[in-house]
Amino acid sequence: MTAIRFSNVGKRYPNGHDALVGLNFTLESGELAFLTGHSGAGKSTLLKLVMLMERPSRGGVWVGDRDLTKLPRKQIPFHRREIGVVFQNHQLLFDRSVFDNVALPLQISGYDPADAARRVRAALDKVGLLSREKLNPITLSSGEQQRVGIARAIVHKPKLLLADEPTGNLDPELSEDIMHLFEQFNSIGTTVLIASHDLSLINRLRHRVLHLQGGRLVADGY
Amino acid sequence: MATEPRQRQGASRRTEAPRRSEASRRGAEQHRIGLGDRSRGWLRHHIEVARQALIRLWSTPLASLMTLAVLAIALALPGFIFTALKNVEQLTAGLDTDPHISLYLDVSLSDERIDSFSRELLLRDDLASVELISRDKGLEDFKAYTRFDDLLEFFDTNPLPAVITLIPRDDDPAQLQVLQQKMAALPEVEEARLDLEWVRRLGAFMALAERSAWVLGGLLALTVLLVVGNTVRMTIESRRDEIQVSKLVGATDAWVRRPFLYSGVWFGTFGALLAWLLAQLALALISEPVQALAVLYLNGYVVQGLGPVESLTLLLSGILLGLGGAWIAVGRHLRDIEPG
Repeated sequence: MTAIRFSNVGKRYPNGHDALVGLNFTLESGELAFLTGHSGAGKSTLLKLVMLMERPSRGGVWVGDRDLTKLPRKQIPFHRREIGVVFQNHQLLFDRSVFDNVALPLQISGYDPADAARRVRAALDKVGLLSREKLNPITLSSGEQQRVGIARAIVHKPKLLLADEPTGNLDPELSEDIMHLFEQFNSIGTTVLIASHDLSLINRLRHRVLHLQGGRLVADGY
Repeated sequence: MATEPRQRQGASRRTEAPRRSEASRRGAEQHRIGLGDRSRGWLRHHIEVARQALIRLWSTPLASLMTLAVLAIALALPGFIFTALKNVEQLTAGLDTDPHISLYLDVSLSDERIDSFSRELLLRDDLASVELISRDKGLEDFKAYTRFDDLLEFFDTNPLPAVITLIPRDDDPAQLQVLQQKMAALPEVEEARLDLEWVRRLGAFMALAERSAWVLGGLLALTVLLVVGNTVRMTIESRRDEIQVSKLVGATDAWVRRPFLYSGVWFGTFGALLAWLLAQLALALISEPVQALAVLYLNGYVVQGLGPVESLTLLLSGILLGLGGAWIAVGRHLRDIEPG
């Protein structure tokens, strides 16, 4: 069972820049892989194609058995509900509590509030922030904010978890903690794809690494 | 390979990643939401969104009140004008619109002669009714209904002629003209006046006023659309981050749109309620002179405010225009705000 499949994918932006060229790879269900490369190598573009924030210029992208090139615009939200995403700048909303930030995906999917509350607390517990649920995320440290972002990404237990530079702003110790969190989710069957340029950390963790250069996949292995 | 039944796509799993297959077999527990849950969630979401839109409205009281004041004035003006027109229409509907011919009789005629002349007219079969207003009665009416009764002191005798009001059977304009000329030729008659023109003029004036009211109403409706649209556009701008994050975690366009549409509905609702108050106040202010005017024409006329139908129309117009304005703003700006 494949989680993500790219088949000869090219992405050219309207300004003529080729962000991805002839990209082929498959990520199996239950895998954890890192996506590395310099900034501008196409890591973010690749993740955006999976999230349907961008459409490929050529080739095909499959998530599970869903052909994203054929997915109509109206179906995009339902596609995104099956994926969890973590961002470098965590994208938290500072007009509401930690709890409400994490609850947002569940509200959007229409969960019963009592059920949602239970799941939000479970997610916060998993990232070690249960005691912080009532605080505004702006009062948290950047490591804690990132963990709130992770809690929000996994609160609906997605099959696929994407992370774009999740440790970009964190010191090495916190970064390692965050990566171990991802390993935990992976150990219960979640497919995880993490874009990161923190090579020393990646090498220590010994997972599959997809290396992008100039929009091309130049290395794929452990 | 077997997978958890809850794993939606767990039909077949390839074995290339043995290190992870153990874990993946357990599978992440998938969330499925039932239809009942979903429709309850939908209703709950609507109530919650409406409540939050209301709270947001009051969180910036001054700005909201300014917007509401503009909306109220824009909605109150047509409400006031249409109600005023309705009053005038009802007033004129109470008036006899049958064409009259008024005969002003020679002042030198004796009361007996006048009496017998009006009886002669009664015998004619081209007249539907004949009404005599004697010189004394004319004087009484003049004193009662005008402020010029002092003028009469300049006269030794009653200067007013006796008047006979005729309603002809045939109201064809050409026939009326002929009849008027015949009457004018009678020796007892000083002047015969066909009282048709003013009714026609009034009718034409009313049609013009009504048309103008519609044009004005249309322009003011456009104002409401633009004011609400602009207010909602600013709200959208201020909540850009929230929209982007919501879209990223799977919010549909409808979900993102909803809070803004409710904002528009609240603006329309409160604008209309304020407008209703303003219009009633304005009508109360003109009520007295209108009443005085009405007394001159017919007794017992009471100025009518906005009745239930007009009030409901005003409220619905407000709500629909608010919703419409929000819809325009949302349609124009929400698609531009995409994550990425």
